Amino acid sequence: MSLKALRIVWRVTALNFRAQLEYRTEFLLMVAIGAVWQVSVIVFATVLLTRFTGMGGWDSSDVLLIPATRMLAHGLFVLFLGRMHWAGRQIQEGRIDVYLLRPMPVHRQVQLAYFPTNAIGDLTVAAGLMVGALSRSDLDWTAGRITYLIAAVLGGMLLEAALFTVVASAALRFPAADYWGRWLEELLGTFGSYPLNVLPRAVGGLLTYGLPLAFVAYFPAAVLTGHDTAVPYWLAAASPLLGLLAYLGARLLWRWALRHYSGVNG
Amino acid sequence: MAMVHAWRAARVTPLGELHAPPRMTAVLLRLSVQVVLVWSLWRGLYAQTGTTAGLDRDQAVTYAVLAVLASRLRELDQYTGRDTVLQHMHFGTIVYWYLRPLPPQRYYALRALGEQLYGLAWALGGYAVCLAVGAVEPPRSAAVAGVFLLSMLLGQWVLYYVMLVLDQLCFFTLRNNAAMLILLFAQNLLAGVYAPLWFFPDWFITMSAFLPFQATLSVPLSLYVGRIPLSDAALQIAVQAAWVVALALFTRWVWRRAAQRVISQGG
Repeated sequence: MSLKALRIVWRVTALNFRAQLEYRTEFLLMVAIGAVWQVSVIVFATVLLTRFTGMGGWDSSDVLLIPATRMLAHGLFVLFLGRMHWAGRQIQEGRIDVYLLRPMPVHRQVQLAYFPTNAIGDLTVAAGLMVGALSRSDLDWTAGRITYLIAAVLGGMLLEAALFTVVASAALRFPAADYWGRWLEELLGTFGSYPLNVLPRAVGGLLTYGLPLAFVAYFPAAVLTGHDTAVPYWLAAASPLLGLLAYLGARLLWRWALRHYSGVNG
Repeated sequence: MAMVHAWRAARVTPLGELHAPPRMTAVLLRLSVQVVLVWSLWRGLYAQTGTTAGLDRDQAVTYAVLAVLASRLRELDQYTGRDTVLQHMHFGTIVYWYLRPLPPQRYYALRALGEQLYGLAWALGGYAVCLAVGAVEPPRSAAVAGVFLLSMLLGQWVLYYVMLVLDQLCFFTLRNNAAMLILLFAQNLLAGVYAPLWFFPDWFITMSAFLPFQATLSVPLSLYVGRIPLSDAALQIAVQAAWVVALALFTRWVWRRAAQRVISQGG
């Protein structure tokens, strides 16, 4: 991206932010919904941790690292790439046709459609949980571990973005595919926050190789805390890299789908 | 003639779904996978635990699977057809609700009835399959089944009014996406959709008792699995009925106020 393009992105984002401030109550509520959504994940995880101690052989301080990583990755996804989640709606409203006429890549225009105010709440709660998880952790936080944790969060963000980009690519051909995006968000929120070894092997396999949810936070947390998983160590350790590769693949799929886009009305 | 109008209004949203095969396929797959995942999760969690919060493994699994099935009852996508109240207010098309020979409140009720009946077909199909494969336990007696059905009916009635209140909010606020999302979240959390309310701290359960949300799902499912004994059923059903009456009166009053706020474009 050239310097000029970056300047345009910054200016559009600043304008989008000002637009969000037009309705102050709505702005504050949008911040709140981001926080509330994340809190719901914490509530669910806390209820399970309280009632079912020693979940899957993990103690609670280790388990906390899973929702903390996932939620921070999710918050960053919402802030930087989250408009992909709403691409289906933009396709249904025919906005893609307008984007195709403008001198800016369609993907960038989708991302610049509005400012994600809820990301403020998302990231605030996620950062709080991460601080809490790290302070309760007994691990020795060496430079290597911290670097891997940062890579894991970024990899998780890219993997989540990749999944939503795939759904958006499908929505370019079948607008009703937008429905899958909502399910995906629900699955990530419900099953992405605790050790997947509590599930039967087949179901865990589905959430590893079918929907690669395990690579977002479970495998990186297992690597950091030294827990065994159902996959070889090298594969679990490569989670951040897989996130990057998945995102690059998803962007190629998006470009291919966009070339074959024929409008929602045929 | 009135029946024809009612039928046409009731089938609006289900028809939209029936005409979109990818969405139908997605619903089937989502429901199947979600049931399997929830069933696996709760069985996995109970692998090293006995009874907790008054629920044993089979009760918890049955509750969780039934909650997934019940969530199908009102989950049709109105947004794609630009048919949510929020969109009608945004685009100004709400005015057409007031120009038809059918009062808006009746149109809304008929449409919701159609959606709930369509969702019920999915839920009943799913329930039959789950019962056949042993994923859920059958009701412990005919009396429990009868009480559950009555409680579920009242629960859906309360849910209808809760969703109506959310939609009515759109008449009074220009931008309310966030408020809608927060209220929907509260509905799901306090109804026990995410996890049975029995697992939450006491203060949370006490707070929920003063709100209508638990009447929509937690009460009927708790009756079904036996967490609420039959001896307490009369009180719980009376509370549900009281919520139906209170919310009916409230929403009726709000409909009148809402009508005063609708103006056609140009004033």
